[in-house]
Amino acid sequence: MGYEWDFLVVLRDFDLLLLGLVNTLKVTVLALVLGVPIGLALALLRLYGNLVVRAPVGLLIEFLRTTPPIAQLFWFFFALPILTGIEIDPFRASILTFALQSSAFFAEVFRGGIVSIDTGQWEASKALGMSRNESLRRIILPQAVKRMIPAFLERAIELMKTTTLVSTISYADLLYQANSIAQSTYRSLEVFSIAAAMYFLVIFACSMIVRYIEARLAIASEAAH
Amino acid sequence: MTEILRLRNLHKSFGPLEVLKGIDLAVAQGEVIVLIGASGSGKSTLLRCINFMEIPTSGRVFLHGTPVGRQTSSGVSYVERELTQIRARIGMVFQHFNLFPHMTALQNVMEGPRTVLKCSPDECRNRADNQLRKVGLEWKADAYPSQLSGGQQQRVAIARALAMEPEIMLFDEVTSALDPELVGEVLITMKELADEGMTMLIVTHELGFAYSVADRVLFLADGNVLEQGSPPEVLTYPKEEATKNFLRGHSSFRLPEPQLD
Repeated sequence: MGYEWDFLVVLRDFDLLLLGLVNTLKVTVLALVLGVPIGLALALLRLYGNLVVRAPVGLLIEFLRTTPPIAQLFWFFFALPILTGIEIDPFRASILTFALQSSAFFAEVFRGGIVSIDTGQWEASKALGMSRNESLRRIILPQAVKRMIPAFLERAIELMKTTTLVSTISYADLLYQANSIAQSTYRSLEVFSIAAAMYFLVIFACSMIVRYIEARLAIASEAAH
Repeated sequence: MTEILRLRNLHKSFGPLEVLKGIDLAVAQGEVIVLIGASGSGKSTLLRCINFMEIPTSGRVFLHGTPVGRQTSSGVSYVERELTQIRARIGMVFQHFNLFPHMTALQNVMEGPRTVLKCSPDECRNRADNQLRKVGLEWKADAYPSQLSGGQQQRVAIARALAMEPEIMLFDEVTSALDPELVGEVLITMKELADEGMTMLIVTHELGFAYSVADRVLFLADGNVLEQGSPPEVLTYPKEEATKNFLRGHSSFRLPEPQLD
């Protein structure tokens, strides 16, 4: 094939790609930082709330899990301002969408982790005179969280990939930056190859870390049996 | 004799199934009571109603003469806060130990004083050290439950309950999940506790232990106390046909129970 590769054109704008990567990481990390506590709250409400709370929370979780993330993103960016009258910038819309969306997944991870703990642990802490909150905080959650770590990290990686959707509402993430460089340089092949490589490097590094932690946890729990 | 615990006409149902059918019992300070009976007779449920792991369907529990809960026109109502305080005063040990696996033996024993009694770190440490020493496991303080034998785990569980300085101890088939060779060490720990004057209610199938440690043996059948008395009265010369059958079935294929002294 007679295609002439020219990475130099692209590398001139590498700072723009790096900025895009930073923006991608910003959305991912913020969505995680907000999504995990919201997820825990949703899980606790779904598990221990009264019936009036439990049903709507369950519905919300299912709704967030079963609708396409891009539809949610468009809703928060285009539809919510009509409803509230408040303009929302792409960054905030992205954070809002992905914090909520991942909180629904984290809620299920938390719930799974909590219910997987042997009822004897609840019994023992209750018999000592602990309240339900004390049991959760001191006995149940520390054990549950340890079991949830692999699922959490897996989900975080998934989230980083999903955040590419924010380019559709003009948030300058890595994909968006790549796209604009491609349009100005007509070097789509080089630009998107480099962008893909950047995603690969970051996510591959993350999944290596996940695997390492999983292995460490496996050893720890083996020592514990 | 000072009365520490009284149950008055205690009933407990799970749905349509009535497990306790009106239990009356007065327990003296320092008394050791062993509950025996076939599975399903209600012994475990009775224990669990005393510290409100299960809420009685009707009837009353008195601790030092003070009734737990509030009498209303539609029965007795309980506030969770009062029940957690009652549970903190009554120790319970389970069949499956239920130690906290993410904590060392020492941390397990410190957990109650720390989280429930809000003791100072020094006080928690002191209590835990003392109780672990008492059950002979101070040398395992830094071991995790998974690194302990079943018998050791159960002794830590006893120490964990004792660190709360309970007024009454409840033992729910605490040796049933243990390999036979590990049963003795747990029974010896319990015997020492009884000798120190701890008020104890014990559900067990170890009739030899019951014989040598109990002040009073209760035979439960079908949710009622069918027969009670001193160990010889109930275990050696039972009056009721059901008690005789139970004891016969229990010992037909067993060697004589070892006698603890």
